[in-house]
Amino acid sequence: MNTSLLIRNAQTVDEKRIDVFVKDGVIVQIGEVGSLSSTAEVEIDASGMVLLPGLFDVHAHLCQPGGEDKERISTATAAALHGGITGLMAMPDTAPVMDNAAQITTFMEICRTDAQVEVIPSGCLTKGSEGEEQASYDSLRAKGVRFITDGDRAPDNMLLLYRAMQYASNLNLTFALRGDVPALTAKATMHPGTTSYYLGLTGAPACAEEIGMEAIIRLSAETGNALHVQTVSTSGSVDILRRCKSESASLSAEVALHHLIFTHEDVGRYDTNYKTVPPLRDRADVDALIDAVNDGVIDCIVSDHTPCTAFSKLQDFITAPQGMIGLDTYLPAIYHYLVSTGKMSWATVVRACSESPRRLMGLAPIDLADGQPANFVLFNPAAQTEVTPQSLRSRASNTPFLGKTLKGKVELVAFGDKVCLF
Amino acid sequence: MTPRKDLLNISSLTDEEIHTLLESAGPMKELFTKSVKKVPALKGKSVLTLFYEPSTRTRSSFELAAERLSADVTNFTVSTSSVVKGESVQDTIATLQSMKVDYVIVRHHNSGLPNVIARHTTASVVNAGDGAHAHPSQALLDSFTIKEVFPDVRGRRVLIVGDILHSRVARSTSILMKRLGMEVAYLGPGSLVPRTEHSGIPRFSDFNEAFNWKPDVVYLLRVQKERQDAPFFPSAREYHKIYGVTEERLKRISDEGLYIMHPGPVNRGVEICDLAMDYERCLINQQVENGIACRMSILYHLTPQTQH
Repeated sequence: MNTSLLIRNAQTVDEKRIDVFVKDGVIVQIGEVGSLSSTAEVEIDASGMVLLPGLFDVHAHLCQPGGEDKERISTATAAALHGGITGLMAMPDTAPVMDNAAQITTFMEICRTDAQVEVIPSGCLTKGSEGEEQASYDSLRAKGVRFITDGDRAPDNMLLLYRAMQYASNLNLTFALRGDVPALTAKATMHPGTTSYYLGLTGAPACAEEIGMEAIIRLSAETGNALHVQTVSTSGSVDILRRCKSESASLSAEVALHHLIFTHEDVGRYDTNYKTVPPLRDRADVDALIDAVNDGVIDCIVSDHTPCTAFSKLQDFITAPQGMIGLDTYLPAIYHYLVSTGKMSWATVVRACSESPRRLMGLAPIDLADGQPANFVLFNPAAQTEVTPQSLRSRASNTPFLGKTLKGKVELVAFGDKVCLF
Repeated sequence: MTPRKDLLNISSLTDEEIHTLLESAGPMKELFTKSVKKVPALKGKSVLTLFYEPSTRTRSSFELAAERLSADVTNFTVSTSSVVKGESVQDTIATLQSMKVDYVIVRHHNSGLPNVIARHTTASVVNAGDGAHAHPSQALLDSFTIKEVFPDVRGRRVLIVGDILHSRVARSTSILMKRLGMEVAYLGPGSLVPRTEHSGIPRFSDFNEAFNWKPDVVYLLRVQKERQDAPFFPSAREYHKIYGVTEERLKRISDEGLYIMHPGPVNRGVEICDLAMDYERCLINQQVENGIACRMSILYHLTPQTQH
């Protein structure tokens, strides 16, 4: 949509009040309130609204090709815009998985026509994500891959990982891995505690994640290969990161937004929407994770958007697949649970949801300045986001927010020449 | 009392419902002494047993309970049905729903699966054991049995011994016992007893410590020897030595007049020595008899929402 857009009286993250004039996807001028005299096709009175750079999510499952019954690139990226996200990294767990250049080409071809936000592909750690043979890292890199990962599957074979890291250490790739000892969590479906006891479900002990994390960090330090730790969930993991990050510049970490909000008690009576890997933990873990985002020990917040079919989530807790969708509700949930409660500042949100993930993807931070391409979000804290199957842009609706109302609303996303009003 | 459709666990029952279910099991049991052991309460109703796990005892107990209430009983044999061909539980339930059964008695190895079934059918669903979650009819028959020997159960102490971790019986029966004012403690190998901060139930590390707690009932759980992955204890022999009712421990149990219970089936020589099976205060056979009465009470009090 080639159009002109004038936003009046928006508040920036550092609490300045500004007017913004955008034409043909470019910020023509940013000025003090009332200083812009231009007229535009779309004019918005943004009093009370916050202007944020477009957010970037480095952990989303888009499911296409191969899982179109769950999600598609068109619907996932529409959901991303709806949640204030203008760029995301796709997990390689499509069907077939993205373990070779041709598969990435196919994927990016669909993105070219269907994606509404910037999509960066990731590539598999092992062929078929089967954990046995290295994928072809250099040909993946040539296709724009930055992160090598087997998605939610944690590495089991330490020798294979050791050699893969040694091999890849010359290639400027980051291995994105989750800390886990699969033998300790094979039968687990939730966090061990009072709830798992009463529900008769096997728990995934926190030490499994922590031992696994310690192992992959040591391998990364030994081989010199950059490591991004995925979906950190325990306070013990935060302690390990705090200790190790001071020694390594090539170590980064992410936390899934749901681990900053929910606890294992939310599973209630087998609510499959709260089944995640790693599982939702204790309140003390949630608090430690929030602190870790605030002080930078954890670099970024991710959605870990994991679409599931309605039928699959209606099965019993053990059989149902893990995961929840998180793109549509991303920014409203961050505001509702973290910003409006005073647990996190907007400046931290911008760092953890835009600057840091972009840095990990090799992208410059978004500069909201004259002459720059438009890439920003207008968020209205005074409005509300009602989460219904109709309001979700995602094809899936497996979110615990379904039927609930979140504080705040994404009013507008400007991304290049695209202007979305919600 | 608002009509209850399903019995999935003990926690969802009100105190009034617990009282009613236990109270009406008494008259049901009296029926067994008559030459005609049948009442027409559920005449014309259909009861379907859906057992995904092999079980003869619980299944027969429910069948007899249903028959003594004059219901028609059908077995849905999972091992020879569409289930082994990969049919999902939801689709199986849709089939049952079309058959217009009134009661479904379900057992499954996955904790929480009966909740799914209950959501998908208008029939009354009775959980006959799901994974390590719940076994409410066992809990009712256990407490009913204890009430027979102790008319006032408040303050009575029950020591539950064995594999608590995998036991739906331990979970359900301890919840009900505590609701009725009894005290419960666990004893078993560290690998098989959940932590007190998770269960809210104190745990002992050996029988001496547990005997000093002065239990009134020693409730033994069946030890599953057939676990696929890493073993939870070294051998049945070592288990028996530390956690079994040996002849020496039977002596102490007998001297102190304690009762022995077990949900069955019993592993002789593991949880319990042969002599203990013949001990006069061993309530195992009484539990079996009371099981039918309690299951009759359950079926009698549930209200299916089947449309006719």
